[in-house]
Amino acid sequence: MTRHQQPDPAAATALARVRGQAPEIRANVRRLAAFASVHSCPTAAVAFAARIDTNRVLAGTSMEMPFGQSPFAIGRGVAFEALLRRHGHAELRRVLTAGLDTDFTFAAIENLREGYPPNRTGLRMRATVTQTRMAEIVGGPPEPVVLDGAVLEADVGGLPAFFEADEMAIGVGGQIIVGENKSWPVVDGKPTDEDALGAALDQAATYVLLGRQTLERSGVDPACMSDSVVLVTPRNTGLAPSLHRQDVASRIRRIQRLLSAVPDVQETAAATPASVTFGVVADTTRPEGVRLAAFGDVTDVLGRVYEPASCLTSCGFAWACRQRLFADADPAVVGGAVARALPGIASLSRVAELGQGAPASPVEAPAAVPVARAGRLYDEVIPAAGLSQRRTA
Amino acid sequence: MSTALEAYFAARIYSEGRALRRTTLRHVHLADPPLAIAMWRLGGERFRAAAVAWGPLDGPFQLAVPGEPRNRDLYFAALQPFAIDLCARVRRAAVAKVARQRGSVIEHIPADALQLAVPNSSTVAALGLLGRYLAYLSDRGGVAPHPALLEAGKHLRFYARHARVPGQSLLIPLDRLVAGHWATLLSPFEQANLAALDAQIEPAAGLHPFEASAAAEAAARIGPEPTEDVDRRTEALLADFNAARGISTDPDITGPLAEPLREHYRSLTEPVWRLMGRVVTRERQLAAAPSVYRRFESDREAFGRHVDWVVTQGGYYRTTDTPRQAAITLRRLEDTLARYEADQAVEDPALMIGHLLDGDAIRGTVASVSQTKVVVKVRAVARAVMALDSTDPVTLPTGKLLWWTATASDQPWEVQSVQPNGAGSRVFLMLTAKPTPERLPVVGDVITLSTLCTGQVAFWLMPPENPPWTHRPATPLPVPDPIDAGDREQPAAPVDAAAAEDPGRYT
Repeated sequence: MTRHQQPDPAAATALARVRGQAPEIRANVRRLAAFASVHSCPTAAVAFAARIDTNRVLAGTSMEMPFGQSPFAIGRGVAFEALLRRHGHAELRRVLTAGLDTDFTFAAIENLREGYPPNRTGLRMRATVTQTRMAEIVGGPPEPVVLDGAVLEADVGGLPAFFEADEMAIGVGGQIIVGENKSWPVVDGKPTDEDALGAALDQAATYVLLGRQTLERSGVDPACMSDSVVLVTPRNTGLAPSLHRQDVASRIRRIQRLLSAVPDVQETAAATPASVTFGVVADTTRPEGVRLAAFGDVTDVLGRVYEPASCLTSCGFAWACRQRLFADADPAVVGGAVARALPGIASLSRVAELGQGAPASPVEAPAAVPVARAGRLYDEVIPAAGLSQRRTA
Repeated sequence: MSTALEAYFAARIYSEGRALRRTTLRHVHLADPPLAIAMWRLGGERFRAAAVAWGPLDGPFQLAVPGEPRNRDLYFAALQPFAIDLCARVRRAAVAKVARQRGSVIEHIPADALQLAVPNSSTVAALGLLGRYLAYLSDRGGVAPHPALLEAGKHLRFYARHARVPGQSLLIPLDRLVAGHWATLLSPFEQANLAALDAQIEPAAGLHPFEASAAAEAAARIGPEPTEDVDRRTEALLADFNAARGISTDPDITGPLAEPLREHYRSLTEPVWRLMGRVVTRERQLAAAPSVYRRFESDREAFGRHVDWVVTQGGYYRTTDTPRQAAITLRRLEDTLARYEADQAVEDPALMIGHLLDGDAIRGTVASVSQTKVVVKVRAVARAVMALDSTDPVTLPTGKLLWWTATASDQPWEVQSVQPNGAGSRVFLMLTAKPTPERLPVVGDVITLSTLCTGQVAFWLMPPENPPWTHRPATPLPVPDPIDAGDREQPAAPVDAAAAEDPGRYT
């Protein structure tokens, strides 16, 4: 990952053209995690490089993914964060003191979410404060410092991006510890949502990695960032917070590999044909048929990789891609595992023919043999249902 | 599962426009009728059932709607009829017992067990959390909760934990049941949606299964986790309810006020109820596999032990397993899974196909069966040697043990050699036990041998009562405690995504 390259104006123009009037979204840790799930898809890569909000591009069509959130779930999250900040962050001080073996009673807690403009300029200012405070670890602050809403700056695919960490506790045993607040409860020491736990630890590991890069830029030993992170979650049925410490060293290594795989914006812009734009796709004034046809054209040009589990949870294009694959009789519609088992066979219609014993071409033969055998075996056993198993099973 | 078979299924379903049976038999016991439960929570509130619908699946459901599920008094008042009914049904099911002889021991186990059916695996987890909450309720303000709530909590915890047992039939998530019995164009991830599965199997007239399931996926609301549109409606109704009741929890006041919320959840539940009924009726049409009875007998045994512990003895369960318990449980689950997979494939030729394609099984015609003598240790003993002609090429190492599906619980055959035979192979196998007529196929039979054994291949010792220090937890296990301290907190106010600075933070 390079540091603070200025994006080539031509590339920026090209990506603005690709984006058209599609909704824009800035890179954040969740966007990065979502892209990580679909990073092998060329369409997703271009959308990520062009900062397109894939969840909103198809708004108003039947292919819009239902990624909306319950107001109760948002309310719970907001209430939990408010609880941690109430009365001079009293609850946050309590759980940090109890969980980190360091007294946070007199810790300096800076709330960087307040007092800065809610825009890119504000994020840049917060990133500067965060970097300055982090560098103070060298002096060994007399009391720990907690940054509420620390901002870390990094280049993602050649463009600067800002990442907001919930907490950063500086000066805990000479180290900096990243914290993440989540409103799902922990019961009997176990999370009630294991997928959410994994996502939260990935987020925290990303902050550790970016924090190390920030320290390096300040000339401070990056090892000051602890490998372990803390999650602050409610315990049991209420919102009373509790702290859990977890080592995320292996996740940090994985995320490092992931960040290095993010496509470079300028390379993406250069490789994207001039005809590609999401403008028509996102144009809500146009008929649905026109928008979906335009989406099909874009993905036909760029290419698509559809993996149901990752696409359907991470990408707003998933239903539209799935529909397109079905229309093309593409085996990938049921998942990559099946598609990879059929090299040389273009469509499900052809697989069906081979399954019924149609002669295979030399290219199809390796995949056709087991499929034909599967068809023969299935046709043999289904009529045999209910017969004695003793001699024919 | 063989990817070649999955590809074949996908291609046929695509071309013919209909889902295909994966099995020729039903591998799960289905009560007639099961007690069905459908549930709705408030978004993000893991312990709050905003509505619980229950009842025998062949009839109408009862609906518990607390109005404001984050108010403990309202919540428990609404859940009480559900808890009382569940406890009564559990106790009733455990009354009649039958004697079962194992060796010289005669045990009495329940003649039946209460079977629960839920729409999906998410509901299983939700019931487990609700059970954890209710089973250890504290007295609050000196007012003890209704005993049925605590007992129902223990039952729900038991059912949710037992649902981990492969092949069990006490708590049936219908999405898993259907996905196990049908091949569709849905990926494993999409199969979690029961409406989409059902639409693939019985699509509306003129629709391809893919189109039908895509429409169902977009339209169906199943729970327990609500979608945004469901909770937006709930939010408006709940605001009206709370404004009208003030701080009142008097059932005479809140009951009528909650009617719009009840109607809201009734309209959401009715299609789910019909869907569950349709699914169970369809699956019941298939004949049960022979091993279903034995597995349900194990379920009844576990059910009987649970009722005895909880109802008769008033016992509680640990909330965290000891390392010894965890090791025993894991071993049992692994053994049960292996046995379940073997039972299914041995009894159901359709489920053997994947093993044949993956090379774990061979099928062929018996070309010859002869007897010979071999020296085992120091004695010459009789053994049978069989030549099996397979039309497909076979790749198996010498010494591989295979069980004939007709004697899968008995002794295996050992591969002696594999020779090319036309386009296929001739496999020579030797029986590893004394040849008896039951153990020998007849020349000309088409038989299947596989690595799957339905018998007990080894006995295993229980771990020591006092595990070594390496297997003891560093800190004492938490004592089961009430988790309801937060019940006194004020409910969090709902926040619209448009009003939140960064709503994605709360996903």
